[in-house]
Amino acid sequence: MEVLPLTQPVLLILLSLAGQPRHGYSILKDVEQMSDGRVVLSTGTLYGALRRLLEEEWIERIKEQDSSRGRQAYRLTTRGRRNLQLEVGRMKQLTRLANLRIAVKEA
Amino acid sequence: MISLSLYQRALRLYPTLHREQFGEEMIAVFRELQAEMATKGMFAWNRFCARELAGVMAGALREHWRVLGGDHFWRLFSNRRFTMHTEFRFPKATAGLMIIILAGVILAIQRGEAIQRSLPYANPHVGPIHPVPSNLLPGIVIGLAFFYAAGLIGWAILFALRRSGVHRLDETSAK
Repeated sequence: MEVLPLTQPVLLILLSLAGQPRHGYSILKDVEQMSDGRVVLSTGTLYGALRRLLEEEWIERIKEQDSSRGRQAYRLTTRGRRNLQLEVGRMKQLTRLANLRIAVKEA
Repeated sequence: MISLSLYQRALRLYPTLHREQFGEEMIAVFRELQAEMATKGMFAWNRFCARELAGVMAGALREHWRVLGGDHFWRLFSNRRFTMHTEFRFPKATAGLMIIILAGVILAIQRGEAIQRSLPYANPHVGPIHPVPSNLLPGIVIGLAFFYAAGLIGWAILFALRRSGVHRLDETSAK
């Protein structure tokens, strides 16, 4: 079960799928790009996370036109999007609090 | 260096269900990554190989742990609720692996005892060292038997509860 706060790979996978449906390779590349190369997922890590997210119905599989190459695309479900928004909201609140504390310390 | 055939062999470490669901896709993605990395030089290639092998091994362990109910076990404590796992299975391979490990432990102990018996003649100045019959082996066997029995009883209870349909009560209350 995925619970908040999400791990960094899971958060990045969800963010990758937030924009558009993607297949495995595309998710890997997008995660790498979003994190400026800091997070490079292996196929084992990616498909472990995708399996959990599918099980929790945060994402779903969709048929891709080019399915002859063993490709499957994934997209966020309503539940997945809601949970992602919750996580981003939690992070925003944390960032706001951190900024306040840092500002007080500097003053 | 990791080839496609080696990667496919490594995928066999995963539980069957996971392989059936994602095996083909994982191979397809690996092929694309392999083609990309082949153009990036030896350093990038080695990092890719290490990452993929480690990822597959860690992923396979995680999936086996999940199939054995490990995730579910910890969830019992984290959620303080008793929800049944939907696909609890005890793979036959695990029983085989446990027997191999047990055989390995027994062999190692026997080997150790043989070395111990040969010691009295190794250092005559100290005096003869008399081998003491080891009670370690029966202790380990009894301990392992106890844990096997406890695991079996636990599994039987979970299986019986699942058959009784208790887990559906939670789904009903959630609706």
